[in-house]
Amino acid sequence: MTGTGTADGSGAVTATPAHGTRLGAAGGTAGSPDGVGIGLGASLTPVDAAAKAEGAFAYAADLWAEGLLWAAILRSPHPHARIVSIDTAQAAAMPGVRAVVTHEDVPGDAAHGRRVADRPAFARDLVRYHGEPIAAVAADHPDTARLAAAAIAVEYEPLEPLTDPEQSFTAEPLHPDGNLIRHIPLRYGDPDVTGEVVVEGLYRIGRQDPAPIGAEAALAVPCPDGGVEIYTASTDPHTDRDLAAACFGLPPEQVKLVVTGVPGALGDREDTGMQVPLGLLAMRTGCPVKIAATREESFLAHAHRHPTLLRYRHHADRSGKLLKVEAQILLDAGAYADTSSDALAAAVSFAAGPYVVPHAVVDGWAVRTNNPPSGHVRGEGAMQVCTAYEGQMDKLAAELGLEPADIRMRNVLATGDLLPTGQTVTCPAPVAELLHAVREAPLPPLPKDSPEADWLLPGGPEGAGEPGAVRRGVGYALGMVHMLGTEGADEVSTATVKVNGPVATVLCAAVETGQGFSTLARQIVQETLGIEEVHVASVDTDQPPAGAGARGRHTWVSGGAVERAAKMVRTQLLQPLAAKFGMSTELLTIADGKITSYDGVLSTTVAETLEGKELWATAQCRPHPTEPLDETGQGDAFVGLAFAAVRAVVDVDIELGSIRVVEMSVAQDVGRVLNPRQLHARIEAGVTQGVGAALSEHLRVAKGVVRRPDLTGYALPTSLDAPDIRIVKLIEERDVVAPFGAKAASAVPVVVSPAAVAGAVRAATGRPVVRLPIRPQAAVGAPPQ
Amino acid sequence: MTLPGTLDEAVAALAATPAAVPVAGGTDLMASVNSGQLRPAALVGLGRIGEIRGWEYLDGNALLGAGLTLARLGRPDFAALIPALAASARAAGPAQIRNAGTLGGNLVSAAPTGDTLPVLAALEATALIAGPGGSRREVPASHLLAGMEMLHAGELVGYVRVPLLHAPQTFLKATGRTGPGRALASAAVVLDPARRHVRCAIGAVAPMPLRPLEAEQWVSSLIDWDGQRTLPPEALAAFGDYVAMACIPDPQPATEGGEPPPPLPPVALHLRRTVAALARRGLGRALA
Repeated sequence: MTGTGTADGSGAVTATPAHGTRLGAAGGTAGSPDGVGIGLGASLTPVDAAAKAEGAFAYAADLWAEGLLWAAILRSPHPHARIVSIDTAQAAAMPGVRAVVTHEDVPGDAAHGRRVADRPAFARDLVRYHGEPIAAVAADHPDTARLAAAAIAVEYEPLEPLTDPEQSFTAEPLHPDGNLIRHIPLRYGDPDVTGEVVVEGLYRIGRQDPAPIGAEAALAVPCPDGGVEIYTASTDPHTDRDLAAACFGLPPEQVKLVVTGVPGALGDREDTGMQVPLGLLAMRTGCPVKIAATREESFLAHAHRHPTLLRYRHHADRSGKLLKVEAQILLDAGAYADTSSDALAAAVSFAAGPYVVPHAVVDGWAVRTNNPPSGHVRGEGAMQVCTAYEGQMDKLAAELGLEPADIRMRNVLATGDLLPTGQTVTCPAPVAELLHAVREAPLPPLPKDSPEADWLLPGGPEGAGEPGAVRRGVGYALGMVHMLGTEGADEVSTATVKVNGPVATVLCAAVETGQGFSTLARQIVQETLGIEEVHVASVDTDQPPAGAGARGRHTWVSGGAVERAAKMVRTQLLQPLAAKFGMSTELLTIADGKITSYDGVLSTTVAETLEGKELWATAQCRPHPTEPLDETGQGDAFVGLAFAAVRAVVDVDIELGSIRVVEMSVAQDVGRVLNPRQLHARIEAGVTQGVGAALSEHLRVAKGVVRRPDLTGYALPTSLDAPDIRIVKLIEERDVVAPFGAKAASAVPVVVSPAAVAGAVRAATGRPVVRLPIRPQAAVGAPPQ
Repeated sequence: MTLPGTLDEAVAALAATPAAVPVAGGTDLMASVNSGQLRPAALVGLGRIGEIRGWEYLDGNALLGAGLTLARLGRPDFAALIPALAASARAAGPAQIRNAGTLGGNLVSAAPTGDTLPVLAALEATALIAGPGGSRREVPASHLLAGMEMLHAGELVGYVRVPLLHAPQTFLKATGRTGPGRALASAAVVLDPARRHVRCAIGAVAPMPLRPLEAEQWVSSLIDWDGQRTLPPEALAAFGDYVAMACIPDPQPATEGGEPPPPLPPVALHLRRTVAALARRGLGRALA
């Protein structure tokens, strides 16, 4: 294996490739070496890293309460069926069964949902996807609960499933709200111009599953006041609580959601479809009730990446300058809306990619089908269009006889340019620099250059790869994601910082999902108050909301709130001292628990200054507002953007169509590096997820029924599939509107990597590669001579 | 759950509890149990039967205990003795599966993607079956796999007898990823110089390994068994195509002069190309 990295002693929370390269020689990052120092820019290790690595960390599935009951959920085996009757009598009569609940037992709003309340807690008269909850059972043993759930007699009248999103427009409505969830017709510039060169393409993106390491689990404990506490690994506790409370018919304050044991998240964790039945059962039985989803349930129930069909037409002049992009984007939302309208807004807004396009005609639709539910998986919307517009750029390059990197360089976006939504890019947009960095990075050696090395051929160590049939390809891709919520979403987070003696505590409802927020919060407080020992309190809904952990929200909004609160505490701490010595607080510095003045006259410790008092402050952070896209898809819908360039190098056995990604070089626009090790781990994890989407990850469905919902049928990248990941450049141009100037880092590698892999396979095989994941038959090239 | 110490005790335990299911590595069985597809009334664990966890030479054959793990079969001593079997054992799953999964389990569960199965078919291995009252019978592994003969109630596969051919053998497997994965197609090619024969079996494309007998015979006749034992690339390619067409034939019209059947879908054509490449490469490496 190649690599210039240091030995990795990190306990980073994300799953990183076993032989991932830490940092290329070219990567100049701020901060101290691994594990040394405190404050911003240091590579602090997450506090729970050792526990997670050693298997001692208590995940949600490890929750326990005295006298708990076990729940099981009966899920529909049909993707589309009328429910004729539900008979729970036999199940309820089984020994050990304590309660059975169905739609009849839901006291509050029968429907809930993140954006639109369109999803019933339990299917009432119609099931709309394979795995939709129908009833739930609480029993004194998990097996009893499962058997009792199976004993519930449901009479279905199966209906023809609607599985083709293109049919959704004309099909019978699946839902009272109609099949069309949202249509965005974006019109920008002159819709009638035509270019000298026109290329067309049809692209299909598969159904990626977040496949969380720990399957969903929760414990509900009834409260004496008639409310309920739910312990679960939610990533958006306040939204989940509000949805659950509405279903219970309770005011939100009677439902408390305690976040515990989060095993990492790539999307929304812990769907309310599980929390609602669990809470109902706890309130019904008066006992704590626990559920731990099986892997199969997990695959069926949680939200997936939107499978997408994209039709593109790019117009350019002879020099390769883009003139117009026409696109039709169809997102398969599954049966319920969830966050599909957000995904669609991202897909339509970024349909042309980080390129300057004077004219654009983009239509995007999110429609209902009886396929598995789609929702928030990082990079949603942006990832699907990236593969398509980068495929178009490759096609245009081939048409014009240009190098793929050249045609991109000719069209890159920069600060001050306009997006097709009419929004001016005000944040740093160093796209040209990023592309230049990956282009100039040295290519990995070819087997013929170092024949003595042990080469891993496509197909694996015991595979059938034959060196004579292996072709190498290099592909480039550029991409972008937006940060924070879009289209006027109110992004606000609140944090409290307390200082007591030598210890500071942070209270903030931002969930640590592996993105590193709790480590970052420690670093912010260390930086501002000079206190080394910082604790981050656990999260529950008694704290003010912080929003979902997605799109860099917590680094920006919650991190910003923590910083403000810490600064307020700093002022409280220093004000009396400053007044005493007749100087302003700015002239005092805090480091290593000591307070010193600029001239060295004053030197005391934080502990002495506190005099046993506790200081605390609470602050909010709210970024500048955004506006919804109007009826022609125009509007300042995004708070900020983050960019990346990826160069993929692949080896393809062109007879078998087997592909191995040899190396991924990443250059990323990060704003500012706050924790180098965590940042690298996040980028490596994102690239690996992108490689999975490119090559193997697709939840297969036949007529709406999920085939093989297990980790054998759903092939995640293993350490052998994960390529060498080379972070060749991290561009630190601070975004002035963001606290610390940092940008979201996790999603953009997921967005760009699949497109780069597709481009590299295109280069290796000469095939068009218009479908993700890339199937072997699409990577078979001309026979070797 | 019973844990007998000998093969005969295990057979007796099965006879005593007819509903019991024997379990060795459990890599297939326990997955079915955990997913709720199977709920055995009782289990007879085969892990303590020392006699089937070893192997011995017997009249020019290797008598392999059915309890040999795939990890053990992949080790260098086996690789020198039965190279294709060792290669298939190393290609099976991740290390955790290889440490638990057994040769006998592979044969009895007979999954279409079982990696050792095409090798057993190409080697013309024989299963030695233990039955009630100390009875023993021998059945060709390919008959078991094809369902021509079945294990009767209360019987266990005790050993697998594999001829030692003292010639190159290959096992090649095409999967969907670089890491461990189930075979999309696999090919075992063994040379039998004593009988001047090439034997080949294709796995994972059908419910059982397929033997392209005509292609074997044709290519065997081309090889100069007393000389260099090499073939020109065109002959290797023709062999690959011959094997692939035999394993994945074009659909035939149902009746004479009837409607021409629809052509094979692209997936099947790709599988055919894959089989052709595997068979060609497998034979090429065996003759190299």
